[in-house]
Amino acid sequence: MTKHIPHESAELHVSGEALYVDDISASPDLLVGRVVYSPHARARIISFDLTEAKQVPGVAAILSARDIPGHNQMGPVVKDEPCLASEEVTFVGQAIFLIAAETDAQCRAAEKKIKISFEPLEPILTLDDAMARNNLLGPPRTMSRGDADSALQKSVHVIEGELRTGAAEHWYLETQSSLSIPGEGEEMMLYSSSQNPSETQALVAEVLGVQKKDVVVEVRRMGGGFGGKETQGNHVACWSALLAHATRRPVKIRLFRDDDMIMTGKRHRFLVRYKVGFDDNGKLEALKVELNSDAGAATDLSFAIMERAMLHCDNAYVVPHMHVVARVWKTNLPSNTAFRGFGGPQAIATMEHIIDRIARTLHRDPAEIRQKNFYGLTNNNVTHYGQRVEENRLHTMFEQLVKSSDYAERRRAIRAFNASNEFFKKGIALTPVKFGISFTTTFLNQAGALVNIYNDGTVLVNHGGTEMGQGLHTKIRQIAARELGVSLDRIRVNATNTSKVPNTSPTAASTGTDVNGMAVRNAIGTLKERIAESISSMFNEEKKSPTTNAVDIRFERDEIFDSKHPARRLAFADAMRMMVMRQVSLSATGYYRTPGIGWDKIKGHGTPFRYFAFGMAVSEVLVDVLTGAVTLLRTDILHDAGDSVNPAIDIGQIEGGYIQGVGWCTTEEIKWDAAGNLMTHSPDTYKIPTSKDIPLDFRVSLLKNATNPNAIHGSKTVAEPPLMLGISTWLAIKDAISAVTDHNVEPEFSLPATNEVVLLSIEKLKCHTATKASPHTIA
Amino acid sequence: MTTKTNTISFVLDGRLVELSFAGSSTLTPTTTVLNFLRSLPHHRGVKEGCAEGDCGACTVALGELGERGEMKYRAFDSCLLFLPMLHGKQLITVENLRAPSGELHPVQRAMVDEHGSQCGFCTPGIMMTLFALYKSGGKPSRMDIADALAGNLCRCTGYRPILDAAEKVCHGDGQDHFVGTEANIAAMLKSISRASISVSTRGQRYDQPSTLEECLALLNEAPGAIVINGASDIALRVTKKFEPLSHIIDCSRIKELEVVRDDGKVLSIGAGIRLTDVMKIVRQDFPALHGMLEVFGAQQIRNTATLGGNIGTASPIGDTLPVVIAYGGSIVLQSSKGKRTVSADSFVTGYRKTERRPEELITAIELPRPSPKSHIHAYKISKRRDLDISTLSGTFRLDLDDAGTISDVLLVYGGMADRTRRATSAEKFLKGQLWSRAVVEEAQRHIDNDFAPISDVRGSAEFRRIAARNLLLKFWFETIDRG
Ligand SMILES: Cc1cc2nc3c(=O)[nH]c(=O)nc-3n(C[C@H](O)[C@H](O)[C@H](O)COP(=O)(O)OP(=O)(O)OC[C@H]3O[C@@H](n4cnc5c(N)ncnc54)[C@H](O)[C@@H]3O)c2cc1C
Ligand code: FES
Ligand code: FES
Repeated sequence: MTKHIPHESAELHVSGEALYVDDISASPDLLVGRVVYSPHARARIISFDLTEAKQVPGVAAILSARDIPGHNQMGPVVKDEPCLASEEVTFVGQAIFLIAAETDAQCRAAEKKIKISFEPLEPILTLDDAMARNNLLGPPRTMSRGDADSALQKSVHVIEGELRTGAAEHWYLETQSSLSIPGEGEEMMLYSSSQNPSETQALVAEVLGVQKKDVVVEVRRMGGGFGGKETQGNHVACWSALLAHATRRPVKIRLFRDDDMIMTGKRHRFLVRYKVGFDDNGKLEALKVELNSDAGAATDLSFAIMERAMLHCDNAYVVPHMHVVARVWKTNLPSNTAFRGFGGPQAIATMEHIIDRIARTLHRDPAEIRQKNFYGLTNNNVTHYGQRVEENRLHTMFEQLVKSSDYAERRRAIRAFNASNEFFKKGIALTPVKFGISFTTTFLNQAGALVNIYNDGTVLVNHGGTEMGQGLHTKIRQIAARELGVSLDRIRVNATNTSKVPNTSPTAASTGTDVNGMAVRNAIGTLKERIAESISSMFNEEKKSPTTNAVDIRFERDEIFDSKHPARRLAFADAMRMMVMRQVSLSATGYYRTPGIGWDKIKGHGTPFRYFAFGMAVSEVLVDVLTGAVTLLRTDILHDAGDSVNPAIDIGQIEGGYIQGVGWCTTEEIKWDAAGNLMTHSPDTYKIPTSKDIPLDFRVSLLKNATNPNAIHGSKTVAEPPLMLGISTWLAIKDAISAVTDHNVEPEFSLPATNEVVLLSIEKLKCHTATKASPHTIA
Repeated sequence: MTTKTNTISFVLDGRLVELSFAGSSTLTPTTTVLNFLRSLPHHRGVKEGCAEGDCGACTVALGELGERGEMKYRAFDSCLLFLPMLHGKQLITVENLRAPSGELHPVQRAMVDEHGSQCGFCTPGIMMTLFALYKSGGKPSRMDIADALAGNLCRCTGYRPILDAAEKVCHGDGQDHFVGTEANIAAMLKSISRASISVSTRGQRYDQPSTLEECLALLNEAPGAIVINGASDIALRVTKKFEPLSHIIDCSRIKELEVVRDDGKVLSIGAGIRLTDVMKIVRQDFPALHGMLEVFGAQQIRNTATLGGNIGTASPIGDTLPVVIAYGGSIVLQSSKGKRTVSADSFVTGYRKTERRPEELITAIELPRPSPKSHIHAYKISKRRDLDISTLSGTFRLDLDDAGTISDVLLVYGGMADRTRRATSAEKFLKGQLWSRAVVEEAQRHIDNDFAPISDVRGSAEFRRIAARNLLLKFWFETIDRG
């Protein structure tokens, strides 16, 4: 069976027939919902008056916090996020009122008539300010191995510095959307663009003051998620449900792009300080890292994100003595949230930046320093949190990629180019990623499925994962087909629905296929056992000898047969008809919990991950020294997808993830003004990569012979890790900048490296004012 | 010609549609084609990703009658098109691509085969861009394809499979089921009256004159009306700011604004010519303008935007005015009382203020052919190369005498002041000097004095200052004879 099958919705996508929330035909009594949000970063709400606004023709309801029948709360982990602000607003974009009207224009007209007065309070808008005022969101955490302090004292070389990484907007093409349809009594049906339908269901029940059994959430597909709809898809769902509840009419909210960008959280900004000790050969001896993240105004997933950052400070390298301290800071900005990589990118960028500095200090090729410090195959392979790096593919991949990308030769050519060009410089960088797969909140590593076989031989698969473009449903369909031995066209994967599979985890942490695929396999296993039992007795009823044993029954090529007596066989569809006649249940649930993981959050020690995913990239760039413009000349990626379930989908994930990483590292810059207003609130000023921003020469391949014993059908997830390969581009840019002073001076650098950052960095080098990054005391 | 009131005609789903605004409670003349389509039960394939022309999710194709009666197809952002702009055209949406048999269109097939969609939300728009590319004939290069797609953002794929699909399918014959019905559609389009249109709905008037004379008369009566051509600037006031524009005069159907005149010395480009077509006109002899247009918005924007509109905005970061100034160009203004020509250099008089009187229309832009010895280069600095607004731009013209001294120099900058501005003291300094690095470095200091740029969302003042200086060095580097 070919694995390169297209996305299960590909034909629907290309024909415009795929339905997203906003496309669902609803009844003519559908109302449009609008969210009125705070114009202040921090202010007390003194009073408001909705009387005039409610009189605008077409307006069916305007709600404030007082009108919430249940709890005014939609925090996913910590209950610190009001659904509608009541006394104080804590960021620009925080929801205060909800309007439902016949048209969007009426909603906007009503919004203008709302009277509200605020008493502005002084906001905290930057990490530096939050740190200066000690505005911690929660207690700091540490993770340690060995004795970093004394090891640093003994190191021949010690460098320290800081790195700032920027926020980023998910820019899913489909903005946050939800349609709520009230049923009878307390029933509420939601069609949502959510990565986490079970949590959406829970929060909707909570704000409505009803129970989970009363709320059904269905997700057919999302027009992109990337983590942005892991918790924050819940918000529009709660708001549309409140309006539907109040008006007893269907209500749809689809955020206007600017509103979406202003209201929702981003990737966490980080300020990292580090001190690293290493020997003359560039071997890492000790590392102290201080991670500071900007959580925004509420908790959301900030602690889990910081935890993943702490777990990825090592990236691919053995650090004998390591001390990580992490602090999550509260500011008056929208609560930052999950975004592909979940804290990993910030930590990995830090480690790769450190290696890059070590190489420059020692006048060595950074790739060489990287290789030298990789986790070992048999020893030196335990992370700073105590997990052994099994199935370590770093060395193999390094060897293959250095060769296939012609790294050494190109490095030489670049040196020659740079020597003879004053106004253009080239740079190259190889960076690896090692990414831990599993939720670090261990209980989330579970999944459920419900598989129904109908008596015409077709199969409907339900599982808890959601489809956001990553091809999860396609892979699940392939897995189900393979397990049942039937052709793909017999199988349909249903929209994710909380009434089919309850209590599910979010589709996140790259676990979608791993856990849901297993749950589906388990459900099918149950069905096959039942069917085999019945079919073998059916064969035996014909009094054939020797008899057929149930264990010998096979499911292959749309047939069911006795492998010992292959003449005894039935077409799958015929068999299913018979099963119903023979009173065999053709519906089964499946469940899976990830084994072998255990993580002590308090001690910061254990085995949080089922396995590690590996990837490596070499990127080469051309920098225009006079304008700061960057051209991506070539990127070679080698990625480990295990025995890929679908190589075409996996390559798509790798390329897309890498380009998203390139965006975060180069042109995607979020800016707020001094009052906390988002300045980059539309694609006019927020620039994600276009078709012209991909490498001119782009070569992606999957590691061969790479069966993964720890996931379905030997595969490995791909989803998040490739994003971090974008870091190779960032460091290639730095390499090119550094060529301006022949790699003798450490350039000032931050992330993203916009044309402005590049140009200013070059300018400082030229002025020879740049010295080694200024020293910082780190705690 | 008599003016047609309150109805427009276009082809949709292979049928001639007469749309009346008179009876409609929801449609106004500034309703966008995107919102119109999404209000229909069977055209929700078209998506809104931004409502400002920056993502391409709303891309549709418009079929228009070419000069020889053939059909020409181009991609547009439907979020920036007002309904009357459809008049006399064929609106093609993603729903129309499948053959009547249900078979996928070749561009759709290629996208499926090459795994070009992931979440699928950008895909309908991408299909329409590829459809237009497929129908444009020829075998586009990889770069042409990437260029055609630069106006379609995709956050999932990394674009490579989409480029592959396009490369595979676009071989030039443009064969598909549209070919069979083309004559029929062309006949329908021909049957549509070319008369002027006037639409009046609740508090809003929209005139679409079909001749220059009518347009100037309208403008004379209502000098406060908003003139639009491509509307790629003005549409945002509706789609982003929700302003009720009370009176619009849409010049997009005036043939007199699409005239090109070339007497060998001066090229006169009609103010209403779409930038895509302007590019073809200037490619040979005005490469700096061509180069600037290559990075102007993206294809969908260039298919709608005009030179008259770009200069009409008087935006300090408008991309074409600095280039027109550097070419020594002028702006032709016309009212019902007469015609006058203003030098481009003095056209803008303040922040978004121009020499144009309210009753005047920009009818043409005149570009004198530069001497073959003049060096004219244009540079745009933006965070992203394509589909981005300039942080700053510089267009420079240099004339050297035989001894290598500077006989004339023009340094025109966008984004460095409240309007397009020349670096006058640097120019003055340079004149009569040798075009050497030392001189250029000295001139860079003058540029610093010429401007006091601001910091804004697109860049800091410091960045602008350094880049403005550097551009001159870049110009020097690109113009010196390196043997
Ligand atoms: C996504 C996007 C990207 C863009 N990228 C760029 C870019 O890269 N560079 C750039 O410079 N601009 C850019 N723009 C701005 C805009 O597209 C251009 O200014 C364009 O040239 C305007 O032309 P138009 O015909 O669409 O103008 P319109 O919107 O029709 O008009 C613009 C202005 O000119 C006036 N006007 C139009 N025609 C005439 C006339 N004949 N006589 C007198 N006044 C007239 C109008 O009253 C209005 O004030 C972009 C816009 C968008 C939405
Ligand atoms: S909706 Fe984004 S370009 Fe039209
Ligand atoms: S496929 Fe998701 S945005 Fe393009």
